[in-house]
Amino acid sequence: MRHFFWMALFAALTSAVFGVVAKGSDRHRLMYGLKVFGEFLAVAFILGWILSFLPFR
Amino acid sequence: MRFLRANTLVAKQIERSAASTPPRAWWIGIAAWAVPGLGHLLQKRWGRGLLLGSSVWGMFFVGLALGGHLFRVSGSDQGFSIILQALPMVANIGSGLLYIACWLTNTGFVEQAQRVTYEYGNTFLLVAGLLNYLAMLDAFDIAAGRKR
Repeated sequence: MRHFFWMALFAALTSAVFGVVAKGSDRHRLMYGLKVFGEFLAVAFILGWILSFLPFR
Repeated sequence: MRFLRANTLVAKQIERSAASTPPRAWWIGIAAWAVPGLGHLLQKRWGRGLLLGSSVWGMFFVGLALGGHLFRVSGSDQGFSIILQALPMVANIGSGLLYIACWLTNTGFVEQAQRVTYEYGNTFLLVAGLLNYLAMLDAFDIAAGRKR
C-alpha cells in the first residue's frame, strides 16, 4: 500500500507539471493533467499485474 | 543538397529567433532554473508558478526523505563510470540551487541502498530536476512571447 502511495504521489506531481506546461486553455490543461495522471496509474496497474506472473521471487 | 539547404534555412531561422529574444527572457530562464517556480512568479503567473514550484520542491524533498541520493562525478570515476555518473548528474542539476545547496553542505550524496524506498527516492530526485528543465523552458517561452 505504501508503494502505491509513493507511485501515486509521483504520478500526481509529474502530471501537475505536464498539465501546467501544456498548451491551450486552462480547462484543456487541467484535462490533460488528469489524463496523464490516469495513464500513469493505469500503466502501473497493468505492468504490476503482468509482473506478478513472472517468477522473480 | 536539398537536405543541406533545409539545414541552412533552419539554422538561419534559429539565429533570427535567438537574436529577437529579449534579454529579459534569458534572465527569466536562469531564475526559473535556479529556483523552481520563480520564472513564472516573476512574470506574475502566480497559479502556474506555485503549482510548478511546489511540485518540483516537493518532489526533491520527498526524494531526499525516501533515501534517494544525488549524483556527481568525482575524481575516482574513470572511463564508462563517468558517463554513468554524469548523465544522472545532469538530471539532478536541473533542480538548480537545491542541488548546489546540497552539494555545498554534502547532503544527499550518500547512497542508502539498504532502504526499501531508495530507488523511489532516486527517481523522485532525477525527475524533479528534469521537470524543472521543462518548467524553465516554459518560463523562457512565456518571457520571449512564444507562449501565453
